Amino acid sequence: MTPEPNPSNGGTREDASLKVPSKDPKKKKDEKKEEDLSDEDLALKQQLELYVERVQDPDPGLQKVALESMRQEIRTSTSSMTSVPKPLKFLRPHYGTLKGYYETMKDSPEKKFLADILSVLALTMSAEGERESLKYRLLGSDGDIGSWGHEYVRNLAGEIAQEFAKRQMEEVAVDDLMELVTQIVAFHLKHNAEPEAVDLLMEVEDLDTLVEHVDATNYKRTCLYLTSSASYLPGPDDMLVLDIAYMIYFKFEEYPSALRIALFLDNMQYVKQVFTSCDDLLQRKQFCYIIARHGYTFEIDEEITAVEDEREALQEIINNTKLCEGYLTLARDIEVMEPKSPEDIYKVHLIDGRASAGASVDSARQNLAATFVNAFVNAGFGQDKLMTVPSEASSGGTTGSWLFKNKEHGKASAAASLGMILLWDVDSGLAQIDKYFHSNDNHVIAGALLGVGIVNCGIKNDCDPALALLSDYISKEDSTVRIGAIMGLGLAYAGAQNEQIRQKLSPILGDAKAPLDVIAFTAISLGLIYVGSCNEEVAQAIIFALMDRSESELGEPLTRLLPLGLGLLYLGKQESVEATSEVSKTFNEKIRKYCDMTLLSCAYAGTGNVLKVQHLLGQCAQHLEKGETHQGPAVLGIAMVAMAEELGLEMAIRSLEHLLQYGEQNIRRAVPLALGLLCISNPKVNVMDTLSRLSHDTDSEVAMAAIVSLGLIGAGTNNARIAGMLRNLSSYYYKEASLLFCVRIAQGLVHMGKGLLTLAPYHSDRFLLSPTALAGLVTLLHACLDMKSIILGKYHYVLYFLVLAMQPRMLMAVDENLKPLSVPVRVGQAVDVVGQAGRPKTITGFQTHSTPVLLAAGDRAELATEKYLPLSPILEGFVIMRENPDYREDS
Amino acid sequence: MPTVSVKWQKTMFPAVEIDTSQPPLVFKCQLYDLTGVPPERQRIMLKGGLLLKDDADWSTLGLKEGQKLMMMGTADEIEKAPEKGPVFVEDLPEEEQVVAVGHTAGIFNLGNTCYMNSTLQCLHSVPELKSALLKYPHSGRSNELDQSSHLLTMATRDLFTELDKNVKPVAPMHFLTVLRKKYPQFGQLHNGVYMQQDAEECWTQLLYTLSQSLRSPESRDNPETVKALFGIDFVSRVRCAESGEETSETESVYSLKCHISHEVNHLHEGLKHGLKSELEKVSPTLGRSAIYLKESRISDLPRYLTVQFVRFFWKRESNQKAKILRKVDYPLELDIYDLCSDELRQKLEAPRKILRDEESKKFGLKTSEKNTDSKENDVKMNDVKMLDTEGSSNGGGEPSTATNQEGVPSDKQCQLTGVYDLVAVLTHKGRSADSGHYVAWVKQENGKWIQFDDDNPTLQREEDITKLSGGGDWHMAYICIYKARVVSMLPSSEIGKSVNVAEAS
Repeated sequence: MTPEPNPSNGGTREDASLKVPSKDPKKKKDEKKEEDLSDEDLALKQQLELYVERVQDPDPGLQKVALESMRQEIRTSTSSMTSVPKPLKFLRPHYGTLKGYYETMKDSPEKKFLADILSVLALTMSAEGERESLKYRLLGSDGDIGSWGHEYVRNLAGEIAQEFAKRQMEEVAVDDLMELVTQIVAFHLKHNAEPEAVDLLMEVEDLDTLVEHVDATNYKRTCLYLTSSASYLPGPDDMLVLDIAYMIYFKFEEYPSALRIALFLDNMQYVKQVFTSCDDLLQRKQFCYIIARHGYTFEIDEEITAVEDEREALQEIINNTKLCEGYLTLARDIEVMEPKSPEDIYKVHLIDGRASAGASVDSARQNLAATFVNAFVNAGFGQDKLMTVPSEASSGGTTGSWLFKNKEHGKASAAASLGMILLWDVDSGLAQIDKYFHSNDNHVIAGALLGVGIVNCGIKNDCDPALALLSDYISKEDSTVRIGAIMGLGLAYAGAQNEQIRQKLSPILGDAKAPLDVIAFTAISLGLIYVGSCNEEVAQAIIFALMDRSESELGEPLTRLLPLGLGLLYLGKQESVEATSEVSKTFNEKIRKYCDMTLLSCAYAGTGNVLKVQHLLGQCAQHLEKGETHQGPAVLGIAMVAMAEELGLEMAIRSLEHLLQYGEQNIRRAVPLALGLLCISNPKVNVMDTLSRLSHDTDSEVAMAAIVSLGLIGAGTNNARIAGMLRNLSSYYYKEASLLFCVRIAQGLVHMGKGLLTLAPYHSDRFLLSPTALAGLVTLLHACLDMKSIILGKYHYVLYFLVLAMQPRMLMAVDENLKPLSVPVRVGQAVDVVGQAGRPKTITGFQTHSTPVLLAAGDRAELATEKYLPLSPILEGFVIMRENPDYREDS
Repeated sequence: MPTVSVKWQKTMFPAVEIDTSQPPLVFKCQLYDLTGVPPERQRIMLKGGLLLKDDADWSTLGLKEGQKLMMMGTADEIEKAPEKGPVFVEDLPEEEQVVAVGHTAGIFNLGNTCYMNSTLQCLHSVPELKSALLKYPHSGRSNELDQSSHLLTMATRDLFTELDKNVKPVAPMHFLTVLRKKYPQFGQLHNGVYMQQDAEECWTQLLYTLSQSLRSPESRDNPETVKALFGIDFVSRVRCAESGEETSETESVYSLKCHISHEVNHLHEGLKHGLKSELEKVSPTLGRSAIYLKESRISDLPRYLTVQFVRFFWKRESNQKAKILRKVDYPLELDIYDLCSDELRQKLEAPRKILRDEESKKFGLKTSEKNTDSKENDVKMNDVKMLDTEGSSNGGGEPSTATNQEGVPSDKQCQLTGVYDLVAVLTHKGRSADSGHYVAWVKQENGKWIQFDDDNPTLQREEDITKLSGGGDWHMAYICIYKARVVSMLPSSEIGKSVNVAEAS
């Protein structure tokens, strides 16, 4: 606080008026207006003037009465916030007088009283930055802070924040401030102003105390504010805020929400704590569903439950073994079980303007496209029209099965597509893939291995069939077979951090004789298995592999998977990447920058860190002359970082538009892919239009990327507009095999799972980011940076990395025996209710359905009946419904 | 002896005893009894991703009582690769890809040469011309032929074969050079650039050259290939109204002209119009020039009927060939029976009857049912033969040279019917003959229409072909080629019989 230098009356008054010269004319106006005052106001004014005079009276008794009355006047006049309360207005001219008098007063209760009043008057009078309100508050009698009204408290909170920052600089004690803070926070929380309370506590770096303040009535709103503000806070505050939110949820036994935050923080301790603290078995099962959706590897041990049956039941849910069943229930409910053929997707008859060319000879590339379309469209349904049809039907003809309508490496993708069709159904999947294991064609075997990996993606099993079946093949002679097994392991054990697999795969990275493609896929698989783990050993292994590569190998298109594998280890782990990025500075110049960008973008993926976005944008602004390739991953990085929340996402879309206009060709090629990632499975119209425009770009690589991205943003939505665009593109590019292939893939993606699947890595009300899902997407997008040599070359099976992100976009209500249950739910567009007063509606434009029901991007569901109580606050995926004991049937 | 449960596909075998003193193979045999999966196809997985090996030692596997095992394997037949894998387009050498693509190559525009490209594409669609060119001797031109004509014929032949072989567009460098040498008017320069030319002129000149050169002595039975293919014979009556004298003359042309006047809305009207003309010449009886009325009739029909829309006329004031934009419809199927002379009509009668029967049969009307059995047999036989000819020309696999070589001489048996099918259209877009753009629209052997816009062939729908009739600024037909619809006839005695039957009924 600044000490007042001049204690004399006149001096301060002059001071005050000098400080606010701008108010002078106003004052004159006021005086002029005085005649216009109503009698009532005039009386009040005179009364107040009288009080001011009395306050300066030497008689303490009179003084006290005057102060009391003045306080009374001010308090009773807490009118609306839009106008200054009358007493305050009339007292304004006397602020200086009172202030001056205050200084001359001796310490007494009256002096404190006056300080209180001055503190309130300072609300309107104090000059900017003086913080007089706070000063007098501290000098005053610590009465109830709320008695002076909301505005006063708010102003005070603001001044405290400033004062706090100043004192921090000067390293002065802040105890008196903290006392005040406690009062204010308590006041705010009592009056539905949770955001203000949280803000104040954040300013004074004392968020921990929030836990004590919140109660059962306001903890939900407080936590909502905390969690949603986390994405706008710089580290490490964001983590702290979530930590507090976790503690509050935990305190109020809101375990499912606590678990969500524990998963967000990737904090195993917290997850365990939630389990051990909650002893309701049904609730625990719900936890398992949430964990399973997140793709988190978690083992239920004795500590959590000593009963073996329970343990098994819980583990089964986490292992996702019932996912397939639930998905098929949904499909039957929506009546889309009938398999679809690629022709049903192409819908050639709807293309007008040009007749279709019925080629008499099979095209290997088109058949391969059909293989992928078939795999994506019928994913998880267990039946299709190409791969699972009984062989008798085709053996009559001379053509043989669909598998052999594919050429060489195409057969690998075809065999693996069987895994996609039987996705998540490990038992029948393995049985059907078995026949390919005994083939004498290496491509088919590779496909079978990959297929096993796909079937097991996201599903865990005690017997680890994928590991048992694949591990023998990773050291085979033929590199196609090896890649099949390695990639299969990566898909099946993504996020599992399985030590056994690491020991099998790591040596390949150091093997001088291993071909580059095998090494590249090994790096990716290790990255996937150890995604976001910051595992030192794996990092070392990949770093050495990168250092061992020769100059020419570093130029190969597949080499890009090595830095990516390294980056995946640090996915979303922010600063933990720094040691590794230091090491990457010693790499060969050719890959150094590329590696740097990849590591940075992976480490900050899903954080929304604006500084990192700016850094990446800065990289894209440079004009390169030496043909460096690092700008591609930088552009993708913008999308990876900014995809965290809606605002940043919109800004990123705009920045990408700029890059499109001013960027070099290698940037323009990556922009569609970045847009695809930002709006994955969420077809925003503006992005759709941009991509549609780019799909006719003169640069065929830009066009290809845009076409694939059209598929990505529409993935699993059956979006009619995108489907129409793609149909037109298929006739536009009917002669260009590569582009047509991309169009077909995109068509397959749009109709993925016949519209029941999503690729969005975000779930649980767009709060949680599944690291394995993001890893899968990023891997594919990096591969797409060199479309010609990877996807259009012989590594088209990288498309199967998408399986990591594939999830049914459903709400499946289950009863207490985990059997599907039909309950009415309202599904509508989610509304952001953070920090809003009252009980606002959380969805808009809703429709009532009965479960199971599909949820589109941005949709939220709420229960339309009181008969059941959901065990998870977020109605997504599997939700256990418990019967409401208080429910009475309306008659 | 621990008991384990084994899961196989969706079934569970709850209590399987393992004799740990025996090798795992014994256990597998146990499972063979249960599942029917032969031991060598079984893969048994233990907890932690272990695969049970046949020679494994049970004690090292840490088997526990009641443990769950998983078995994978089926007794299904292993899918064998077909002995002969499918052939993919990508594997084919380029010339064979043509078949797969379904059309031949485009021709690069070498600078205002679309008139030539479109002409070539249209003529290229006539297989008989192609086969005739193939027979043209490589060397040793006949004496009456000049060197440049010989070279042009050679160039045409080479270009046509090149078009058949390629999928990617062809650059007609050599042909263009030779064409300009033979007909220097196509080498005119304007501001240093080669000028756009009239496609019809190119067409006529090229066909003339070919008609000269393909008069090869070897094919004696059919000395004038081009005439046989395209030639139209007229018989005209020239009458003078004043004197009443009448003469008859014959002439032979390569194309029918469709004159466009205000009354002409349809190709047929235009053609009729063109057969009547007035001319002024000196009348021997009157001793002065008088107006003669000339009425022509077709006396002999070609295999390929060329129709030219006379869209351009020399406009003196603008000093250029101006264009008539009037819309003139043309059919996909043209019947010129009423343009024929009486003799020809008689000749056409019998084949047309058969054709009609064929068609009504196709539509299921079965008019022939009333007729006698023998008649029906005839029709059936004709039917088969017709199918044959159709089949061979549609057999897309080989370029139809083989069939066509027979096709020309067997002309005698294949009777023309006066009905023609549209096979190629040369269109012009623009306001004058020497500007704008020429494009060829050609029906392929597989029945699909391809638009050859220089080097860029695109697929078109049949209904869009008739929309090229003009009346706007879109492409409009300039020259059309119609292919004769033929029926194969039986020996003449039978024809007579069938004609008799036709008359009787």
